[in-house]
Amino acid sequence: MLDDEVTLTMQWDRLVSIVDEIFLSLIRTSFSTIVREAYDLCCCIFDRQGLLLAQATQSAPSFIGTLPQTMQHLLRRFPPETLHPGDALITNDPWLGTGHLYDVSVICPVFRGDELVAFTGTVTHLPDIGGLGFSAVAREVYEEGLRIPPMKLAEAGRLNETLLHLIRENVRVPEQTLGDLHANLAANQTGARLLLALMEEYDLKRLDALSAALRTRSEAAMRQEIRRIPDGRYRHQLQLEGFDSAITIACCVEVRGDEVFIDFAGTSPTVPAGVNVPFCYTYAFCAYAIKCLTTPELPNNDGSLRPVHVTAPPGCILNATPPAATGGRHAVGHFVPFAVWGALAQVVPERLAAETGMMNLLNFTGRDLRGRPFANICFSAGGFGARATKDGLHTTMGPSNVAVTSVEALESTTGILVGCKELRQDSGGPGQFRGGLGQRLTFQNRSAWPITVACFGNRTAFPAAGYLGGKPGARREIRIEGKLVHPKGRHLLYPGEQLLLPGQTLTLLDAGGGGFGDPLARPVEAVVADVRAGYVSPEAALRDYGVEVDTTRWQGRRVATRPQG
Amino acid sequence: MSIRVGIDVGGTFTDFVLLDRRRGRLAKEKYPTTPQDPAVGVLTGLELLLQRQGLSLQEVTQVVHGTTLVANALIERKGARVGLLATAGFRDALEIRREVRFDMYDLGIEFPEPLVPRHLRREVQERLNPYGEVLQALDLEQVREQVLALQAEGVISLAVVLLHSYVNPTHEQRIKAFLHQHFPHLYVSISSEIAPTMGEYERTSTTVANAYVQPLVEQYLRHLQEGLQARGFQGDFFLMSSAGGTMTAETAAQYPVLLLESGPVAGALMSQYLGRLAGVPNLLAFDMGGTTAKGCVIRGGALRKAYSIEVARAYRYKKGSGLPLLIPAVELIEIGAGGGSIASVDALRRLRVGPESAGADPGPACYGRGGTRPTVTDANVLLGYINPEFFLGGEMPLDVEAARQAVQRGVAAPLGIGVTEAALGIHEVANEHMAQAFRLHAAEAGVDIRGHDLVAFGGAGPVHALGVARRLAVRRILVPWGAGVFSAFGLLISPLGFDVAQTALTPLGELSADALEARFAALEGRVLDMLRRARLAPHEVTLARAADLRYQGQGYTVEVPADGLDATDPVRELERRFVQAYTRLYGVAPRDAPLEGVHWKVTGSGPAEPLDLRLAREEAPVAGAPALKGYRDVYLPEAGGFRPCPLYDRARLAPGETVVGPAVVEERESSLVLFTGDVARVDAHFTLVVTPRAS
Repeated sequence: MLDDEVTLTMQWDRLVSIVDEIFLSLIRTSFSTIVREAYDLCCCIFDRQGLLLAQATQSAPSFIGTLPQTMQHLLRRFPPETLHPGDALITNDPWLGTGHLYDVSVICPVFRGDELVAFTGTVTHLPDIGGLGFSAVAREVYEEGLRIPPMKLAEAGRLNETLLHLIRENVRVPEQTLGDLHANLAANQTGARLLLALMEEYDLKRLDALSAALRTRSEAAMRQEIRRIPDGRYRHQLQLEGFDSAITIACCVEVRGDEVFIDFAGTSPTVPAGVNVPFCYTYAFCAYAIKCLTTPELPNNDGSLRPVHVTAPPGCILNATPPAATGGRHAVGHFVPFAVWGALAQVVPERLAAETGMMNLLNFTGRDLRGRPFANICFSAGGFGARATKDGLHTTMGPSNVAVTSVEALESTTGILVGCKELRQDSGGPGQFRGGLGQRLTFQNRSAWPITVACFGNRTAFPAAGYLGGKPGARREIRIEGKLVHPKGRHLLYPGEQLLLPGQTLTLLDAGGGGFGDPLARPVEAVVADVRAGYVSPEAALRDYGVEVDTTRWQGRRVATRPQG
Repeated sequence: MSIRVGIDVGGTFTDFVLLDRRRGRLAKEKYPTTPQDPAVGVLTGLELLLQRQGLSLQEVTQVVHGTTLVANALIERKGARVGLLATAGFRDALEIRREVRFDMYDLGIEFPEPLVPRHLRREVQERLNPYGEVLQALDLEQVREQVLALQAEGVISLAVVLLHSYVNPTHEQRIKAFLHQHFPHLYVSISSEIAPTMGEYERTSTTVANAYVQPLVEQYLRHLQEGLQARGFQGDFFLMSSAGGTMTAETAAQYPVLLLESGPVAGALMSQYLGRLAGVPNLLAFDMGGTTAKGCVIRGGALRKAYSIEVARAYRYKKGSGLPLLIPAVELIEIGAGGGSIASVDALRRLRVGPESAGADPGPACYGRGGTRPTVTDANVLLGYINPEFFLGGEMPLDVEAARQAVQRGVAAPLGIGVTEAALGIHEVANEHMAQAFRLHAAEAGVDIRGHDLVAFGGAGPVHALGVARRLAVRRILVPWGAGVFSAFGLLISPLGFDVAQTALTPLGELSADALEARFAALEGRVLDMLRRARLAPHEVTLARAADLRYQGQGYTVEVPADGLDATDPVRELERRFVQAYTRLYGVAPRDAPLEGVHWKVTGSGPAEPLDLRLAREEAPVAGAPALKGYRDVYLPEAGGFRPCPLYDRARLAPGETVVGPAVVEERESSLVLFTGDVARVDAHFTLVVTPRAS
């Protein structure tokens, strides 16, 4: 009959296809644009010990790392022997969940008969959770909304009406918020049904053997790849804009045999604003960073997490403790992979991409052209960093990974007119391989009502760094009526300056990705092609690449061969 | 009486099917495809076919054509130099995309190069708001300047994409009229005609793809029609669209992007037809050829339609790395790369099959054309499922030793297992992948496929049919006569038809019965107009209305048929139908949430032509001749080894005869592999109806 190797392959593939079905079910029933279009979600299957077995292909990188931790927290609160068929566990606690209140983690036990065999879990960004509304300006977590400790959302198939009632009375859009909780439940149930069908088909009483086999494989493969990185302690430090002063992230990555130890001693303390990062989120992005440079093509599971160890001093901004505000924890947390990669760029640059221009997020609330209220989270991507053998991708998310809705959809649901959405010339970091371009957008308030704008921006003070002689990308800029505004402000608190009044325009210049390698080593033809496409201006071609471009015959000539100044 | 010919141009072969109603004959032919100019192969093969049938082209009343020309041009980047004219500020939509990575861990991913490079993307000042109201008027003088500049760059085909043109197409239409007047030789594609749907990236992508292939398709169709006319053809010439309808050459030349799935969709149509003949409404179509494997779910006798597909994946065949196209199409599932899929072992020591393919060149190792990596076909040869001496009726002997070496090196050695186990592994993993693709698709469609019948065709379909069928717990497997040219039959049974769709976000609470009627009536007017141009009278036309609805606040829709609505309160009934459909799909429906309509659609089709497969009788020898050709060693998993199995000649099996597995039934282009206990019976239409052994 079948070789065991082949059986394992087939069952493993099936697990992945089951989580992908959970994903489909989730986005098709969701009421949130941010879930179904931006994919700010994650779907997972765990074994009966709560160890991660499989994740949906399209999941947020951070949640992939946080949900396994949430699973363990929930199991501690609700030990397996206390669970029943039809139970559903829930929390949005920033320290046990995803780092902020806006995401809810829902986990359901899967029973085969009376026996607990697995868990299915989903994370989604909620339409609202009360409090200040989605922004980065709270000073304590209490201002940010309703905190749901580990609880049962359903018990033996019956919904926890008390909890639902409490949520309903605490959020701005109760139908959508409760609708999305239903979507989580439905998706988890879909997963359970398919998982049981798989067990039926292969006559598996338990998943333990399958779980052990695939976790062992993934762990072994990861360890093998880590072993190929030279042992040593590699340090890196980077800065990002804070509120009063810059925030420093200090990182030491120690590679020892087949394990990696990451520590953030020396990182700035927490700040009285909603950008502090609970440790679960820091850990998630460390695990993600190591996965990318070791076994990117292999499926992720608990085994991939084992060889990675992370520490950060309590009270630093990457290990914030309650009651620190964490609403915009991604605005700082997204720098974690760059800290790790920056350290390892000293030894394995060929596996990496230079820093990216990162994601920008604007949360608009106001009224549309016909006076109906709206809330719209508008994402946009900077340029992706250049790679060792390839240019960076234009306007591509990293390290986060959300999709952007069309301008036509944005205009249809808001009172905003987008004047342009175009590639931003000269924003890609110069290099032998050029960083990806950022973009330029303008948002005009065409309604008769003011629009509140909450910003979660970055890279306004510190651009995306290049690697191996590559230059940084252009910085991000956010302006209202031409005037620079704070990248993490909420433009309601300071009237007159930061509210987008009727007729006013917000201009966003998204940051470019960093370059890779010496720009003077970029072939002349590539520079000419960039100028012809308008990615690079003739002036920048001369200044950054030392290439004089004849823009009538489209020919170029290198006039500088050594870095200047 | 009519004589109709179906012509399906594939990657390696062009298939012909001829239905001569006058003499009651059904004939088939295969001729090598001529990639340089496919018209040459089509015309030569057609003459050969007619010659053998003792007919002349003058007598042929209708030719229906399916072609992979458009898909190939997009995959191989062999289209025209295209320019883009976009609303000022939005020429980069094509390159900015959706900004998401299709693989979160792989830092080396790549997106396809845009079909229009940035210096050929130009802007025009004009602007509409989302309600279609003009904020800034169109400046045609600026259009002229931009187009002159693009022509100076060698642009011969232009795509025009303006924001919100799906609500109000006037600006695009004025540009088109202006260009026809002042630049009569320029090809022009406007987005409000090609893909009138919200979402500037996907709409631009589709319009640009249309412009990209238009000159090529127009020329090809002209050559072909001239060639046919020069040989005396006086009948009608139609093409098959991705939606499974036929269209005139004139329409196809205008909207060539609609031809994308032109070939493969015919197989789905034919499966649907076979199901109708057999009285089976719920079917899976399983088409596995040398380079692609496609599937399709047929539910209640109907094909599912998609309004968006992805073509030409640029990075490791990954979903999301291709070009999105918003065209109506029969929903086909990419279920694998066919017999040419390459097997390998990954770093986790897992056996992988595909997505890489050996294609037609070099092809599987056993083709002996220099391929050294193991493929699914190689595995099938080693397992005895494919007869190395009778491939393509014996015209192409296969190299078993080369297959063995490839499987040994590529899979058996790295896994530390025997060659036979490795071959079985490849075969089974391929089956599992295809079954999974079906399952995932079925889940998306909200369909429980257990109890369906599976129609298996294409060169490799019948070889894998039982393995796939068992995994899906289907009821029976139908293997049609002429499985190798089955898709070409599909060209003959498709009625002439067109689809139109309009996007208009409308809360149902604000929609009056009159407005609903007016909206559908306008769409029907467009369809009737298209059908009239294809020489159909209104009384021959069947129209069908449908609407895509959702709860306000959701992003995905559910299609609801909108015919025969209650006259007094049609909107209420539409709501009721939606809630029913939603509950069926997702188990529960939110209470009292308001609904909205997103897409409004009308399909029009002419009368369908019946095709009687029993006409094949002159090609199939009479019963009584010995169908048993001999015995061959075939690997039977249930026996754990090779066993001698009887070999049958399909052409000698007459209606009513039965074959009991284990056995192999061979025909020229394919073999059906039956395992112990599977029973195949030949029905009146020469279809092999297989009942799998009870598991």
